[in-house]
Amino acid sequence: MTEPRRRRVAFAALAATLALALGLATASGSVALPPLSVLSSVAARLGAPEFSPLSEPGQAILWTVRLPRVLLAALVGGGLAVVGAALQSVFRNPMADSGLLGVGSGAALGAVLAVKLGWGQTFFALPVAAFAGAMAAVLAVYVLAHAARRASLHGLLLTGLAVAALAGAGTSVLLVATEEFRVKTVLFWLAGGLEGRSWTHVQLGGGLILAGSAALLALSRPLDVLSLGTDEAAALGLPVHLTRLGLLALSSLVAGAATSVAGSVPFVGLVAPHALRPLVGPLGRHLLPAAFLGGAVLVVLADVAARTLSAQMDLPLGALTAFVGAPYFLLALRTSEGRS
Amino acid sequence: MKVMLEARDAMVRRGPRRVLHGVSLVVREGEAVALVGPNAAGKSTLVRALAGLLPVERGEVLLEGRAVGAWDRDGRARVLALVTPEEDAPPALTVEDRVALGRYPHRGPFRPMTADDRAAVAAALAVTGIAGLSRRALETLSAGERQLAALARGLAQQPRVLLLDEPGAHLDVGHQLGLFRVLDEARRGGVAVLAVVHDLQRAAAWAARMVLLHEGRVAAEGPPNEVLTSPEAARAFRVSVRAHALPGGAHPLYSFEEPS
Repeated sequence: MTEPRRRRVAFAALAATLALALGLATASGSVALPPLSVLSSVAARLGAPEFSPLSEPGQAILWTVRLPRVLLAALVGGGLAVVGAALQSVFRNPMADSGLLGVGSGAALGAVLAVKLGWGQTFFALPVAAFAGAMAAVLAVYVLAHAARRASLHGLLLTGLAVAALAGAGTSVLLVATEEFRVKTVLFWLAGGLEGRSWTHVQLGGGLILAGSAALLALSRPLDVLSLGTDEAAALGLPVHLTRLGLLALSSLVAGAATSVAGSVPFVGLVAPHALRPLVGPLGRHLLPAAFLGGAVLVVLADVAARTLSAQMDLPLGALTAFVGAPYFLLALRTSEGRS
Repeated sequence: MKVMLEARDAMVRRGPRRVLHGVSLVVREGEAVALVGPNAAGKSTLVRALAGLLPVERGEVLLEGRAVGAWDRDGRARVLALVTPEEDAPPALTVEDRVALGRYPHRGPFRPMTADDRAAVAAALAVTGIAGLSRRALETLSAGERQLAALARGLAQQPRVLLLDEPGAHLDVGHQLGLFRVLDEARRGGVAVLAVVHDLQRAAAWAARMVLLHEGRVAAEGPPNEVLTSPEAARAFRVSVRAHALPGGAHPLYSFEEPS
């Protein structure tokens, strides 16, 4: 199969899979909705005649609970995967993802701090605090790495590790000092989950994720040039430091938004680009959109599993993506080592 | 011939260490210059300073008469191409996509590929002899083939000045001859070519002029035969050099021995 053809097939397959996954996810849950009626209800909102009406409670579940949650899952997964693909090009390392910038640990610290201060039930305080924490952590990483010297990629990575460890330590201390009845809110959030997310989450978090991902896609050619290495990129006329700063800022924005609405959802940023790179190639204009679709499929399906595997409770979403992602990674590592 | 690239008493630092202590040299339109010297002489540093990637602490580097740092980045990259031996492109990238990134200074972040871009890429692939590999991923190539792809990227920039740091390091003798033939073609087209070459025999056969760098200074400069048989070359490389004229050969053969 020629390369452009293989790419077209891959994109068609991804789009079809995402559509199926979205359908499956809206139909299934503690209350199953007939897929045909779901389709009919969505069509009705778009102005088409209703052909298989949903029951009154069905309508309510679909429009206030199910749809925002499913859409948010798709946006979070897509955003995290795009960020993973972008950072892997910036750091020229297939193991890079948003965790390296301190996004996840900063968000966790922000969220725990908010709960500790008793804002856990205040409308929207948790995501806002998490987002602020994520941005503060990234800023700290960047400033500290530059204070050390003209920041090399290596310095940035190591600073990221140190800041993440510090934020993690802060989170632990705060958790221990938090009243027991509040710990559950934090724990659930730390493990990742989309329970009870509303259209407001979709609008704020999803809006940021979409805008940031679109901006990253628009910068895909500078991203490709940057992936050639510092010297070659500079010799090709790219303002290397400025470009890197812009890409890191956009990546933190998207990952921060995703983490603030869904908590920690690990491995999506690693697995989706890694699995799709052999199919669509490493160029940003192909890999970024493919990663968005693939990441969306992953998290939508993981969230279905989170809602339906146990009848008693929602399982943590982040644990589910890790259950799939970690073995995938070990397997990929084994095959790649077997080859070389 | 028009002077394309010039260093005037350039002093360059790398970190705390001063690597170049006032280097002056000139590369003219359509000229082939070989830069030679022992390890740690400052050759790579000089090439990067000439390309505008390293700032000069004192003195200046002029590209077409204008300070290289005063050019806007894209403009500079349309005039001057640099090919280095550090080959770090993403392993899954195809040869064609890698060479096409050489059009970045012409296209910028947003302009789509034009017929001119495509023609430049095709010509660069053809002249380097890797058109047959164009759909292959870099990770499936040998080190020598990757080096040719890097050279093709430089040619796709359609530069008027071409700087190369050890372009033939990983090439077998046949591919080396091919590489220098490509550089010669570019030179005949008016491109000013300066290459760091470790293989002194090859450098002497290819270049019209040789610059010997030793401990951050130009130790000798001139026709390759004169430079290689100079006492400065013997001192720089710590060898004794002898030239042997071959009957019917265009270039003498050199032999090198440790000084007794």
